[in-house]
Amino acid sequence: MNIIHQIEMALWLAVAAIGFAILFNVPKRTLFTIAILAALGGSCKLILMQFGIHIIVGSLVGATLIGLLSIPAAHGKHAPPLVFSIPAVIPMIPGAFAYKAMLGFIKLTGNISTEAYQLALEQTVNNSLKAIFIILALTAGVSFPMLMSRKESAKEIKI
Amino acid sequence: MITSLNSNTSLKETGNNLLEIGCLLMTSGASTNRIRVTLERISDGLGYDTEILITHRTVFLVLKDEKTQDVFNSFKKTPPHGANFTLVSGISKMSWHVIENNWTLNQIKEEVNRLKKLPRYSLLTTMIFVSLADAGFCRLFGGEYIDMSTTFVATFIAFLVRHNAIKLQFNIYLSILFASFTACIIACFAKIFGIGNHPDLALATAVLFLVPGVPLINSFSDLMDGYVMNGVVRGTHAMLIAFSIALGMLISMLICNF
Repeated sequence: MNIIHQIEMALWLAVAAIGFAILFNVPKRTLFTIAILAALGGSCKLILMQFGIHIIVGSLVGATLIGLLSIPAAHGKHAPPLVFSIPAVIPMIPGAFAYKAMLGFIKLTGNISTEAYQLALEQTVNNSLKAIFIILALTAGVSFPMLMSRKESAKEIKI
Repeated sequence: MITSLNSNTSLKETGNNLLEIGCLLMTSGASTNRIRVTLERISDGLGYDTEILITHRTVFLVLKDEKTQDVFNSFKKTPPHGANFTLVSGISKMSWHVIENNWTLNQIKEEVNRLKKLPRYSLLTTMIFVSLADAGFCRLFGGEYIDMSTTFVATFIAFLVRHNAIKLQFNIYLSILFASFTACIIACFAKIFGIGNHPDLALATAVLFLVPGVPLINSFSDLMDGYVMNGVVRGTHAMLIAFSIALGMLISMLICNF
């Protein structure tokens, strides 16, 4: 496992999260926490994938970690948990799979030979299912801690 | 009679303020449950009973004075949606002040006006950081530094296109289509002129700043909280945005024969 590569990836995860945080106009005091959460969650997913764990499970674990950490962050910085969790989880979105799936769908509309069509169909279904399930895993992981706490506000959760 | 008149005006003012807060939360990207809980918390603190119907474009409120049995009800349509988490966080903080520090209606009004006037991040700051974010995505998916600069330039210009299209009051999905088309055309130029080793990655990541992250996550939390209708509406909205992005990419790829 290449540690320098891992640190670089964590850095870019944080940069991506900060970009979205600024797009969503978060309070300035929360920016640093969002960067840390994104780097932790994303690195968790990347490291799990290096141990041969499937990308969907990895995304679920990473997103759940972000969801869990967003509650102490909300207590510390006096902002609702979604301010932290939504920008932090966005660097994990499956952009490359969605793109490949879209290219596949374009290919499937063309007039190509049966073998090429079979191959394209297999790849397209695989890529689009991956994209859909990763997005579902991310949203479920982020909502999970608030559902488990059975409270209506993060302020009522004792930590 | 005079006292009843006074209580009526204060009921009316409270109702109008609660509607405004609800609409602000809806446009700023709060989930339906958060809107309901916040409004109920504020009206509890002021001593009123509320029933609320929240939809994507309208908020409906019935406010009841428990002592006099007076009732106020009204609708308010929400302004165009655009995520603003400073507002969500500020209103959430304010609602706790109402409960814990017994804030009055005037204090609430002042705070809402102050929150509404808070400046956003400047356009240039937003553009630079969003472009950096997309460049970061390009690196995460395995691009090299030269591809990242292509992504940076493509996102920078596409963001400006979307900003101006929304300012010119184009349809929101059409604005996203324009932005995604611009980003992909620029990435296609990089491919045509042979800049970078993975131009396809630059193409795939330059549109990622358009992804509907807030509607998607809110859609899921609404569905989980039992607001199925709002969840489906938000999900459809997110799907339409994703479809616009794909259509913009498709058109530019057909033009450039990628």
